[in-house]
Amino acid sequence: MSAVSIWEKMLNIDRRWIFLSIGVVSIVPFFINFGMPVVTTDEVEGIFDYMDELGPENAIFVSFDFAPGTQAENMPMAIGVIRHALHNNVPVFMTANYPLHHGMMLAAMEYILNPNTIGYYQDVPFDEWSDLRESGIVARDDLEEAWEGQGNQLPEGALGWAFEGRDYAMLGYAPVFNLVILGMTSSIQTQYPVDTHGNPTSEMPMLQEHKNLREVDMALSCSGSAACVWWVTYAREKIGLPIAFGVTAVMATDYFPYIQTGQVIGQMGGLRGAAEYEVLLAENGITPSTDKAFTGMDVQSAAHILIILFIIMGNIAYFAGGFHKQKTLKGRG
Amino acid sequence: MKRTVPLMIVMVGGILMIIQYFIPHQISQTIFEYYTDWAPIIVAFALVLGVGSLTRIHSHKIKRRAQNWPYSWAVLIPLYTMPFLAHIWPQSLGGGMDQPSIYHFLFMHIQVPIQATMFSMLAFYIASAAFRAFRAKSALATVLLIAAVIVMLGQVPIGDLLGKWLPSTGLWILRYPNLAAKRAIMLGVGFGMLATNLKIIFGVERNWLGGAGK
Repeated sequence: MSAVSIWEKMLNIDRRWIFLSIGVVSIVPFFINFGMPVVTTDEVEGIFDYMDELGPENAIFVSFDFAPGTQAENMPMAIGVIRHALHNNVPVFMTANYPLHHGMMLAAMEYILNPNTIGYYQDVPFDEWSDLRESGIVARDDLEEAWEGQGNQLPEGALGWAFEGRDYAMLGYAPVFNLVILGMTSSIQTQYPVDTHGNPTSEMPMLQEHKNLREVDMALSCSGSAACVWWVTYAREKIGLPIAFGVTAVMATDYFPYIQTGQVIGQMGGLRGAAEYEVLLAENGITPSTDKAFTGMDVQSAAHILIILFIIMGNIAYFAGGFHKQKTLKGRG
Repeated sequence: MKRTVPLMIVMVGGILMIIQYFIPHQISQTIFEYYTDWAPIIVAFALVLGVGSLTRIHSHKIKRRAQNWPYSWAVLIPLYTMPFLAHIWPQSLGGGMDQPSIYHFLFMHIQVPIQATMFSMLAFYIASAAFRAFRAKSALATVLLIAAVIVMLGQVPIGDLLGKWLPSTGLWILRYPNLAAKRAIMLGVGFGMLATNLKIIFGVERNWLGGAGK
């Protein structure tokens, strides 16, 4: 067998071998935890530091602007920031710009409030604390004290209470979301008279204290599409609302100009960005440990190394076989 | 008439929306609020139009036994099943966090895995494409290849272990050369959008009318 035919054979390798090797390196790290350290970047620290300064008198928006296709990257970002907010008792409004994204919002809260999640928050639905609300106890510290005074004990393993309407509000999907953002610059309640569970938003203390986006301190758009730019166009530029992005890795390169101009306070790019936020949460004692994004970084490391190896092998075969001198290369594609 | 009226509506609406943005007066604010109230209602009609059109096209395909007609059932059945289930069990619109519903079940166990699978398949195709197409054929292609390898390694923890310069060089590429190129593209697109919008508002660009009034 001539040397050229070996290189040609290598270049025309059956693509199923490539698929198989990617499959193997994607699965194995889930069973063998390498736990490689994730170094944080300024872009993610910008969001974390900003969030850390907020307290119960502030409020943030987390917009679920992604579909299930990109949930592996976007979901941990949203979960990380919501857990940070719940830890600091910062009220969180949650929206979705598309019906599918509404399901992602529900899935995120299902995870955060699920007792099987390590470091979960104990949910207190809106109706369950109506007596305290009616008696005027709505300030966060007073509410928790009064709630526990009624004999409610924080379950073991729970990091805190999550009062619906005080700590979080799932506003969900509303059609023509760019106009919804515009509308919320005047009134959130006009755009969302009821939340996802049918609770009247006018009765929610967090909405009474933050009537429109001008009274909100940050919006994080976790996005798998260019919808995140709507927040800059309609909220940042119109009323000066600070915006943060949580975008997929392939999108991350698009939004560096927004960071440089200061239109966006920070950006979590892809799984790496989410893992960085998880590291910051764990290092600062906000969550007991890192979560899914951090685990996924081992998989991503292995996959990136393999793809780079493929590129190197492809180039070696291409040049060593002398194919660069030919005008066309036979291949099976 | 069929062309003049829509052109007038677009011109008046477009100019009003431009003016209201720059003039923070009560009147402009009222116009803006009217607009944000009306627009979703108009879009709701477009939704009816869209569902109606989709139903008509696919039912015709099924009737005529056109090529790949069975797939039309795959469009029509979920199109009507999901809203139907959502209205039978209204709590499903709330996600069924405490009360699991069929709607919620179908979303979480069919829609989510289908989309996640489709997206995750990218990894396999990217690996295959990288092996076959990413060649250092010219100086520019070599620069692209080196930049890609540095950014890829800089994005993962193993890059930190290989050398601190890798992630910092990767970030430098993203923060400077990438930023400059992106900004140039965005500005070009922005000016293009501005020019197109002005052409539509002033009736120079009329393709959006389709064949109306001809």
